[in-house]
Amino acid sequence: MTETSIIVILFGSFLGLLIIGAPITVSLGVAALASFLYLDENPIKLVQIAFNSVGSFPLMALPAFILAGALMEAAGISKRLVALAESFAGPVTGGISAATVLACMFFGAISGSGPATTAAVGMLMIPAMVRRGYDKGYASAITASSGGLGIVIPPSIPMVIFGISALGMTVPAEALEKFGSFQSISIPKLFIAGVLPGIVISVSLLILNYVRCKRAGYKGTSEGWSLSTMGSAFRSGFWSILAPLVILGGIYSGFFTPTESAIVAIFYTVFVGVFIHKELKWKDLSRSLETTTWLSGRVLLILFTATVFGRLLVENQIPTMVAESMLGLTQNLYLIWLLIIGFLLFVGMFMETLAAIMILTPVLLPVTYNLGIDPVHFGIVMVCSLSIGFSTPPLGENLFVASGISDTPLEEVTAKAIPFALASTLAVIVIAFVPQISLLLPELLGY
Amino acid sequence: MGTIKEIFDNLESYICRILLVIFVCLLFAQIVSREFFGYSIAWTEELSVYMFVWFVFFGASYAAKHSAHNRVTFQYKWLPSKLCVALEALSDLIWIGFNVYFVYLSYDFVFNKMNLFWKSQTLGIPMKYIYLVLPIAFTLMTIRILQVNYLKFVKGVDVKDPEAQELDALMEADMSEQLDIESPKLGAKS
Repeated sequence: MTETSIIVILFGSFLGLLIIGAPITVSLGVAALASFLYLDENPIKLVQIAFNSVGSFPLMALPAFILAGALMEAAGISKRLVALAESFAGPVTGGISAATVLACMFFGAISGSGPATTAAVGMLMIPAMVRRGYDKGYASAITASSGGLGIVIPPSIPMVIFGISALGMTVPAEALEKFGSFQSISIPKLFIAGVLPGIVISVSLLILNYVRCKRAGYKGTSEGWSLSTMGSAFRSGFWSILAPLVILGGIYSGFFTPTESAIVAIFYTVFVGVFIHKELKWKDLSRSLETTTWLSGRVLLILFTATVFGRLLVENQIPTMVAESMLGLTQNLYLIWLLIIGFLLFVGMFMETLAAIMILTPVLLPVTYNLGIDPVHFGIVMVCSLSIGFSTPPLGENLFVASGISDTPLEEVTAKAIPFALASTLAVIVIAFVPQISLLLPELLGY
Repeated sequence: MGTIKEIFDNLESYICRILLVIFVCLLFAQIVSREFFGYSIAWTEELSVYMFVWFVFFGASYAAKHSAHNRVTFQYKWLPSKLCVALEALSDLIWIGFNVYFVYLSYDFVFNKMNLFWKSQTLGIPMKYIYLVLPIAFTLMTIRILQVNYLKFVKGVDVKDPEAQELDALMEADMSEQLDIESPKLGAKS
């Protein structure tokens, strides 16, 4: 009896507060506090969780990556990477919009955030597409849709958050009995696992882009590829291309932890921005620090209350109940994947990605453990599914950004972005059904 | 008086920027000394983690000052605007209640419940001082929530988070202007 009433208190107050528009962190915190009081547990635990949930070394990757991303923009690194992608467009049908997808992939390799990717790429590529006769709505739609790649292609802030949430959880005993031991989770492993799925999603976007451009008659330039443009874009972008190599090379080779590689990237960016590009000014530096402050503060305050919430879920066996009711519906692993993806897409439409990961990992991860799903594979599917939410209404941050840049009505961009969201969804389903896409690279590299 | 007000207005911003710069540099020094001199400094990791915790909670207060904490607000579109204002005020009131209770809890923990001799592992700082950030930052955050509401209801200024401000600026900027300029300014993330 207490079990059902605790669910009512925990979820009832959480959803109630969300609906009246309380900040996510407050909704989680108050719901957890109400349950503590109901269960007659000592709420002093909250204080220790507040400190311990945030005070972890791997978590410092979050502000470090945010700061690195903000600085790369100010230092002119982002701009040059996008210009390089643009120079590859050439005579292919839909070439420049394909280059936009490519630019988002490049950019995803230095940034861990969707709207930031959309903004940085869109500022340059949307006007470039319009100059070549593309429809503004289409140009914005492709940018918004591929902006989500920013969080799938490593380094990825959502993967850091998933890793931290998952590391704090133990594998349920029933699952260990049934499936033997599970592979361990680590943030570098998640980063490697994200590479191929990122490519799969990009390819699905590129195919759809080709088909739609062919139908709309968007041809490439008649002169063919211009080697001199590509060459000069490459020369001026040389130091910018090194940035993702420094970050990812450092992590994959095992020289640095993700946190350290982000720190190295910060110093690399400051060096390039000040001495080579000579674009980074004091004002930019100070602004980047400020952005990092409020972004980290707001995300990590959610982490604190989400940790309390998650602990209550696990202590009250709620994930086991979810798993049982799911298994009661169907025993088919593929159908269960579809249910999970559908649920994640739905949540992604309404909730900010990082908050969704922190709230849902404690619920869903034990469920997938009980089904014998590899935790890294699940993490990748989760991040990919939520990334689609960036370009779907009603809370598609990428759509807002893209429609803002191109000055096109939101409805038009949204309508043109929906086919891309469907293509990405198909890609995510493939990624879920074929675990090797996520697990092959980590296995080959010996993680 | 003016300068005191200005310092108070930007208090978290100053604290956080300084902390961020210091812990980023500490970690960099640690990497350099390990990779190039084969010597790892023992205390940097601990110190930087504690600075990071301080950075996070003051940062959360800073985010409150800019009313940047994520809310789910799409349902507001279907509600009468007066009701929305009332609901938002109510949710802020609940937030303040939570904060006040948490300040009490953390104050009680730091000054009454905590083992006074509990010290950090490598630096030996009493943990009491490190945990002190919780009551301080949550008190400050409560003041910021009140400040935002004071500005909204008394002064009629709607505090918007920096992302929303940026978006509004983008919405106003004309597409044709951007087409003329070859490389528009990339101020997108601040």
